Amino acid sequence: MPKRLAILAFALLLPPFAQATTVGDMMAANLDVRFHSTVQPFVQTYCLGCHSGDKPKAELDLSTFSNLTTVTADYRRWNNILDRLKASEMPPAEAKAHPTPAQAKPVIAWIQTALAFEAARNAGDPGPVLARRLSNAEYDNTIRDLTGVDMRPTKEFPVDPANEAGFDNSGESLAMSPELVKKYIDAAQNVADHIVFKPEGLTFAPFTVVAEADRDNYAVHRVVNFYEQFGLKNADTVDYFRRMTVDYADYFLAAWRYQNRAALGQPNATLAEIATSANLSPKYLDKINTMLSANDPAVGPVAALQARWRSLPPPADGKVPEAATQGCGYMRDLIEGLRPLVAKKIENFPVRGSAIAAGSQSMVLWKDKQYAINRMNYAGNAQQLDMSGYGATDPALLVPATDEARAQYEDSFKQFCALFPDAFAVTERGRPFESPNNIASDLRGHRLLTAGFHSQMGFFRDDEPAMALLFDDKQQKELDKLWAELDFVSHVPIRQFKEFMWFERAEPPSVMMNPEFNFVRPEDGDATTEAKIKQVAEVYLAKAASNGVSEEGQQVVRDYFTMINANIRAFEQAQKTAEPSHLDSLLAFAERAYRRPLTAAEKADLLAFYHELRGQQVEHEDAIRTVVVSVLMSPNFCYHADLASANQVLKSGIEPLSDYELASRLSYFLWASMPDQELLSHAAAGDLHQPAVLRAQAKRMEQDPRISGLATEFAGNWLDFRRFEEHNAVDRGRFPEFTNDLREAMFQEPIRFFENVIQQDGSVLDFLYGNYTFVNPVLAQHYGMPAPAGGPDDWVRVDDAQKYQRGGLLPMAVFMTKNAPGLRTSPVKRGFWVVSRLLGEHIPAPPPNVPLLPSDESKLGELTLRETLARHHQDPTCASCHEKFDSFGLVFEGFGPVGEVRALDLGGHPVDTKAGFPDGTEETGVSGLRDYLHTKVQAEFVENLCRKLLSFALGRTLVPSDDLLVADMRNKLSTSGYHFDTMIDSIVTSPQFLHKRNPAQVAQN
Amino acid sequence: MNNNLVRNRLQLSRRKFLRGAGVVMALPWLESLPVWGVEPLTAGGTKAVIPKRLAVLFMANGVNPNTWWAKDASGNQYPAKQGSGATYTQLTELGESLAPLEPYKSKINYISGLFNKAATGVGIHPGMTGNLLSGMPLTKGAELHGGVSMDQVLSNRIGEQTVQPSMVLGCEQPVTGYHETNFSMAYSSHISWSSATSPVPMEVYPSLAFDALFDNHGNQRNQSVLDRVMDQASSLSRQVSSADKAKLDEYLTSVREVEKRAEAMRAAKANADANGQGAGQPVITMKRPDNGLPEDIRDHMRLMCDILALGFQTDKTRIATLLLCRDISGLFYPFLDVKLAHHLASHEDTKDSFLRINQYYTSQFAYLINKLNSMPEGEGTVLDNSCLVFMSNMWSGSNHDNSKVPVLTAGNLGGTLESGRLLDYTRAGDQNRKLCSFYLSLMDRMNVKLDKFGDADARLEGV
Repeated sequence: MPKRLAILAFALLLPPFAQATTVGDMMAANLDVRFHSTVQPFVQTYCLGCHSGDKPKAELDLSTFSNLTTVTADYRRWNNILDRLKASEMPPAEAKAHPTPAQAKPVIAWIQTALAFEAARNAGDPGPVLARRLSNAEYDNTIRDLTGVDMRPTKEFPVDPANEAGFDNSGESLAMSPELVKKYIDAAQNVADHIVFKPEGLTFAPFTVVAEADRDNYAVHRVVNFYEQFGLKNADTVDYFRRMTVDYADYFLAAWRYQNRAALGQPNATLAEIATSANLSPKYLDKINTMLSANDPAVGPVAALQARWRSLPPPADGKVPEAATQGCGYMRDLIEGLRPLVAKKIENFPVRGSAIAAGSQSMVLWKDKQYAINRMNYAGNAQQLDMSGYGATDPALLVPATDEARAQYEDSFKQFCALFPDAFAVTERGRPFESPNNIASDLRGHRLLTAGFHSQMGFFRDDEPAMALLFDDKQQKELDKLWAELDFVSHVPIRQFKEFMWFERAEPPSVMMNPEFNFVRPEDGDATTEAKIKQVAEVYLAKAASNGVSEEGQQVVRDYFTMINANIRAFEQAQKTAEPSHLDSLLAFAERAYRRPLTAAEKADLLAFYHELRGQQVEHEDAIRTVVVSVLMSPNFCYHADLASANQVLKSGIEPLSDYELASRLSYFLWASMPDQELLSHAAAGDLHQPAVLRAQAKRMEQDPRISGLATEFAGNWLDFRRFEEHNAVDRGRFPEFTNDLREAMFQEPIRFFENVIQQDGSVLDFLYGNYTFVNPVLAQHYGMPAPAGGPDDWVRVDDAQKYQRGGLLPMAVFMTKNAPGLRTSPVKRGFWVVSRLLGEHIPAPPPNVPLLPSDESKLGELTLRETLARHHQDPTCASCHEKFDSFGLVFEGFGPVGEVRALDLGGHPVDTKAGFPDGTEETGVSGLRDYLHTKVQAEFVENLCRKLLSFALGRTLVPSDDLLVADMRNKLSTSGYHFDTMIDSIVTSPQFLHKRNPAQVAQN
Repeated sequence: MNNNLVRNRLQLSRRKFLRGAGVVMALPWLESLPVWGVEPLTAGGTKAVIPKRLAVLFMANGVNPNTWWAKDASGNQYPAKQGSGATYTQLTELGESLAPLEPYKSKINYISGLFNKAATGVGIHPGMTGNLLSGMPLTKGAELHGGVSMDQVLSNRIGEQTVQPSMVLGCEQPVTGYHETNFSMAYSSHISWSSATSPVPMEVYPSLAFDALFDNHGNQRNQSVLDRVMDQASSLSRQVSSADKAKLDEYLTSVREVEKRAEAMRAAKANADANGQGAGQPVITMKRPDNGLPEDIRDHMRLMCDILALGFQTDKTRIATLLLCRDISGLFYPFLDVKLAHHLASHEDTKDSFLRINQYYTSQFAYLINKLNSMPEGEGTVLDNSCLVFMSNMWSGSNHDNSKVPVLTAGNLGGTLESGRLLDYTRAGDQNRKLCSFYLSLMDRMNVKLDKFGDADARLEGV
């Protein structure tokens, strides 16, 4: 490749960023002279006949090139001219005059020298990187990382156009319009509607949180998920709630493991380690273990458990014997059978007649509370129970004979009840005052955390045993916080009291269904003030007293009003103290959104805007949302632009990116998203530009799941499958196996492959020759491979994939399907994909009026698709291009329209995968194609990959001054065993990646 | 950015009516504003297309089944107790519950026999209500799930043509506890749903509903956001290269363009208002309601009807729902000499007391009809270009029977809907009496044509 060698030669002569030096000036002058003496006469003789005048062929007017400068200014076209001359494709066969090779040679040499000169002259120049908005993918990813919620706000945006290199991440193609601005506003508002206002800041929910139902949904599930995450499950119904409990057998087995740790081969295991590895509470396991190991008097349930515990067998051959597992199960069954019998029975508060309804909030909460405070208490009734059934298995449970032993027996029950609570927590409750049938029906409703009121909202916390026995300090605090959040986020106390007023006024039986209460309306603005609550309480209590409610009953009512008033006041106070924290959150949000620190003026401006809105009678939450919208609409968020800076401007008009700009450039290259905290910390420390730090960060980022951003955006656009998730060209009547799941799996396969190559620092040649791929169950089935267990998200690597005719990118179903028009294959499209996408060859668009092939393979009649195609190519103008790529497509004929392996085409003809390549080689099938690529055009593939990746990284089309870097990438690849990482390393430490053109200077150009 | 700048802008963009007087002065649609997406009325008098509006008024807990009837010219009473097939005939006589509508008999349609399959057989109250306008099955327990309601479908499709995409008003606040059927009371409280899982927050304060239409906080906030964006973009574009500047200017220009359209709308409206006043056009005035809720439910409902009427007349919105009371309503009517709250009164739905409640509600409907009918527009009135739907979630409150629900319509929806008719589907067969079919027919006339909606894929015959 003489062109590339020439670049290297110049590179030795010229320092990077060299403007015209003396040596360079001399060369330029020399080249100019030779242009006039050699190139111009040649062009005059052989080219201008077609390529000049009013309508020059291919819109190429060669008469406009008058010197070196005009040629290098249009280096892309001269690159094409060079290729055509070298291949002797121009002048075309039908031309009148043809140059001899000896005549063409100096012209070819001149073009090569001129282009190499141009490449070396500005090697490493940052190039024209235009300011640009975020692409749709970047916008979605950035919102995901900014809010923690993958809400994909660009769903409704128009598709981004790609630049010349095929990527949608450059200012060359990303435009803005009023219509898009309106979509930006809608998107920003939608993001802002996801804000959850918490006591100590803002966060984002997976759904919009505007209506009350949304708030409940968010906050209630956070609490419930917390319990479930610690292994608490709902057991059978007792009374009017579901009991959340743990599986005691797990704890007994863990204690057994600890006792037998040496025999199990873990002599140094601690109790806490064993708990953690079994996902159990270390705190509770410790209590259980202490109880089991103690030597209590031989009467009562604790003694019964200890006896069973001592009879568990030791490990056999270092393993857990079945009898030990079983024994732990019996111990659990003993507890679960016995415990409900000795639980305190709670009755409704004794109110005479219907003086106060048992379903009134005060009475329901009273009953809820009686249960809650007795969860770990013993009813004192063991001696009244019939224990004779336990005689044979657990004699300790039989009521002992002596007074002393009976006292021990009672103590044992107390201990038993305290360690094995009636319930650890309750998250589902029916209405406690209802008949059992109705309660059973309530419990089918999954009324999460409800207090058990009829039709009124309100929650009740009953988890004292879980707090005391299971959760450590940190977990307790976290759970307290979640409950406080529920009150705060859902405005619980206020709503609860308003619904109380509605219900007691309107629905029987109720104290308040009386004209005396006409002054109470939940709708009133002052309905929840202290004064109003006091007034309601007063009248309510007087009415209750006159109804004959006892002093104790009145106290229950009094307690209710005191509690609800206190909760409402606490809520209002929390709201007041939360507002400043929301503003802090807001500023932190803006800072992350702008991907750099805010200036003092910017902070003041955001706060001023908030206060301005408040001054306009906008409520706190709406004001915050509006400021968030303004942050997301700010060009500081939705645009990338390199700003002028005052320092370090080099003479050449080139200056280094700031470390914050560099952090963004890195993250949008590798993640297609915003920088994370670690990158920003390095930017703040000012050491990100140091090559060692940069390399380490790039390596770290490669291992992060967000590397899927590079895999999806780079590979997806390079290989043209980015929009395959919307691919609708398959006739699902004919190919019912092509489900949405399969389509998604096809889309994912190259991304997984790509991620694997990056993360394992594999060879880029694996893309072509890899004998492995990645499948999930549905794709494995499509490929005829043994399907892994699990669902669509369970992917496995399949080695020896060529056994199934897969492996590497070439035979992936996504490319076979994407490049087939539905009911037939398309060797043309598939071949074109290989040649243009993988190998990077420039092929001009077909002329208009090309006759189309039939759309259905089975309608081709006697001819195979191959024969039809051959006929199609008898026209020489078609043939000149098609012969470059059709053969590449014919080797894929063993794959049908959805990439399925096949022996017969849809017309019933046996498939033929033989193909003659442009250089005359004949190969068969994909393995033949691999051989051809390996021996003949591997360098083109590598060159193309380097160019594409660099173009993606820089966010612009490449220019000649990038040639040197591309050569460097290529060299590092070939000397390192083609490790993918060497490309990233070359790019992120290259001058073009680390610098920008100085805006002030460029502005004068 | 400079704080004074922000302040000045916000002040400049304050509403164009006289806040000091607490009175809105706006012009009726025809004389007034060309709005988003609507061609302005040209000076030459080219006719702009008169907008069509749709409102649903909801009264919960059913009607008095003995007095909610209509008769045809031959004296046959409906809903039909026997026979088969639907009846489409002239509305001649109204039952006692409907007495307040007597003067508007030619303007309304009496419709009986329609039902919502998904709301039947699932237990009483919330399960009969939350899907009244969507026809989708509801989910019990902590997860709310139903369907987007008909009004919000319209709002999404055509709402951006007006200042407010839709109005969702209520005269009773929502509650959200669990009903004995395990459905959330949120279903009882909301008939408008913006998604399967989220009700549209309902405005119960007349003053805020009024502000939303005329103070226009939403647009005003948008404008101040856009102002800020322009400031930032131009400040940024001073710090970048000329090529970059072009890209940022593209953003600046696009934002400015969006704002210009909004500005044009405001200016046109201000001009029209000014011209209208000069030319002695009938300027509509309405005092801004006081903050807080009116003491008397009668005032509350009147105000909400007034705001709805004004919103339609001035074309601030074309879609509205008004929940007069929610399901299991706790509203009291001392002025009707009814001691029980609405819901308990409905358990005695054949009593005189409940008849009085019925009449009170139909008189609200009559009030709104009269209001729109006295608003001239083009050759006719705003009522002629609107359709008001009055409906309940059940027929009989004592039996909680929703095998059919009461429906009334008023107005001609721009000449697309006949009135003065009696349509009875009670015996037409379940396939031919779907509420969702009725909604498809209405949405068609609002120029939103769907293949199917809820449980229906066919239009309602006879409408």
